[in-house]
Amino acid sequence: MGIVRNIRQRRWTTVAGYVLFVALMVAGYYYNITFVQLGLIDLGTRLVGMTETTVSMWMAALALVTLVVAVVTGVTMDRRGWSTDLRTKFRLLFGVVCVQFALTLVAPMIRTVPEFGAWIVLASIGLGVGFPVSFSLAIDLVPVPDRGYVAAAITAIAYFLANAVPLSWSIDVFSQLMVAAMAPGLLVLAVLSFVSYDRLDDLLDDLGAQHGIYGTGRFCHGASVRTRSLTFAVPVVLMFGVFFIDSLGFLRIIDTPSLLLSSWQSPELSTRLFIAVAHVVGAVMAGVIYANFSLSRIFLWTFALFALTHVMYTSDLRLAAVFPTITGNGASPLNPALYAIAVSFYTTLNFALWPDLSTPETIGTHSAIGIGVAGWLATFSSTALALYFQAVDLTLLSHLNVVQALSLLLLFGLAVGLYARRMIELARENGGARA
Amino acid sequence: MNPTEAIPLLIVVLLMISIGGGDVQEMSVTFQGDNDIDSLADVHVVAGGTTTVPADATLEGDVYVIGGTAAIDGAVDGDVTLLNGNLSVNDGATVTGTLQTYSGAAVISSDASVGHVSQFEPPTPSSSPAQRIGAFLLQFLVLGAFGWWLAERHPSIIENVGAAITEHTLVSAVIGSLAATTLLVLFVYMAFTLILLPLAIVGLFAEFLIVLYGQAVFGYLIGMRLPIEADGVATLAGIAAFLLVLELLGLVPYLGGIAQLGVAVVGVGAVLNTYFGLQRFEPITIPGGT
Repeated sequence: MGIVRNIRQRRWTTVAGYVLFVALMVAGYYYNITFVQLGLIDLGTRLVGMTETTVSMWMAALALVTLVVAVVTGVTMDRRGWSTDLRTKFRLLFGVVCVQFALTLVAPMIRTVPEFGAWIVLASIGLGVGFPVSFSLAIDLVPVPDRGYVAAAITAIAYFLANAVPLSWSIDVFSQLMVAAMAPGLLVLAVLSFVSYDRLDDLLDDLGAQHGIYGTGRFCHGASVRTRSLTFAVPVVLMFGVFFIDSLGFLRIIDTPSLLLSSWQSPELSTRLFIAVAHVVGAVMAGVIYANFSLSRIFLWTFALFALTHVMYTSDLRLAAVFPTITGNGASPLNPALYAIAVSFYTTLNFALWPDLSTPETIGTHSAIGIGVAGWLATFSSTALALYFQAVDLTLLSHLNVVQALSLLLLFGLAVGLYARRMIELARENGGARA
Repeated sequence: MNPTEAIPLLIVVLLMISIGGGDVQEMSVTFQGDNDIDSLADVHVVAGGTTTVPADATLEGDVYVIGGTAAIDGAVDGDVTLLNGNLSVNDGATVTGTLQTYSGAAVISSDASVGHVSQFEPPTPSSSPAQRIGAFLLQFLVLGAFGWWLAERHPSIIENVGAAITEHTLVSAVIGSLAATTLLVLFVYMAFTLILLPLAIVGLFAEFLIVLYGQAVFGYLIGMRLPIEADGVATLAGIAAFLLVLELLGLVPYLGGIAQLGVAVVGVGAVLNTYFGLQRFEPITIPGGT
């Protein structure tokens, strides 16, 4: 592992880069999975008084606007050379965190739909600018061979905190915590962005020059990955699939009190801790696999884990349908734990993949399209589908059955795709069948 | 008892009913609450809560207890099987068939009438030192023969797996734990379909064999560090030492078990990563960095 070697060789500037990147990404991701994904539902339903369906539609709009803003930002970053200018990226990030700080502060005061709508639009702009900028920091701060482990660390810390720290899923609680956590972060970013003195300038100059070594991603050595190539499109489609099935399944699970109260919102600390540890284990596993195997292997494991998770969920529901007295007994923590491992797998992959499919010239565009299409468009689409399912009164079992079918289909499709690719390679190598 | 916890014992019950010629479709199950049952379609399973057969009731069918409490005050015209939980056959109660207990707590009143009482006594390998030594020797003979054969006839195969254990321990542990867990869950769910039960049994047995394979390789690695020239003999000695260490680890509460589990998953991962030793495991080389 490169970080161990860097510590042994006392290369503190490079080590500081790792720490800075992990801290920034953990903060950003924690904000996203708690405040944005969970707090907004509470804000919309409880404080503004909208129905859950309306709030979901607003959240789908947030996803769509974020995607558009991200792509514009990413392309602009690459065209104007901001992707390779560390100070500029810190300044952009400082601006984003300022906007998010203000939005977080005022969120609990929102009471009307127009206010909520305005909040959503401003938040989308913040998120849309924020994630290509933050992902592009990887080329300056994280050596290529360590990206899997760094991604694992970000995932493990963010999910452990989100699950182990007992917080009510309410906007007031999230807002207070986030404001307190963002204030020192804002100060650090302000220093990094605007303060100038010799040691800091030297540090930033050294870090800023690292993209010359770390800038070319793992999959770009030899031939650069073009945005309109299959090498880029296939991971985007596969990640879209993972985000989609996760989001579609999770939207229904968190809407089912019996499943939620026996897992992520369990009053038992031990249950939440169990899920938090499962997230950490999943992230470490994904990091190790990412660093030691081909990309297809980690995709296969991710799909296999999702398929297995949904097989377990649906099997329990089928059993409960046959024996109705079982429904009141709550679910086993094994299912959410397996779910947590699967989620950690793809989250780790998501943090490492886009910088590894990019060069300093394409990092903005690729991370924007990658996360925008795979993450935000998938969220938008799955929310829309979940709303449709809700409108047609689809049962929990039928809903999760669709998710299970999709995850099995992705697993099967990927396996067939890999096999077919190998066949094509062999046919090209041999120029036909070999006797 | 929730569905996930109930599944393994329900599978056992389903198998027992199928083997006994019972009708699975007619099975009823109670999971919670207090229930009195005075009639039965064919089979009743008590998985949780308290189920009572009232004094004036006569059930025609079989009763299985896999959790919770079953109290029989009346008559059961069939068999009663206790797999887990509590069973009490009270004064004046009647069980015409066999009362079979495998596990759990059974209390049978002396004033109750039971056709035949049978208690399953599981073999306890640790019950006497002679049995323990016998089991240890059997394990040593099987693993030793396999390890000796590999070291003498296919040294490159065992060397490949050994290299994966020593040079890529973490990767082997990750793949081993992931593969072992997912396959275990998969086989349990396959068994639940009944149709795939034979395949599930074969799969579980194969998984067990992979664990043994890994253990043999650990023995080989220890053997290669012993001052013995012949590889086969060194592997035999190493396997004996390894099994002894495993036994000693078993005596340490908690940590010993975790260490045993760790060794098992590393072995499984190394075997799988090397395609059973056919190929040396080489992690992907990631370009870039310093």
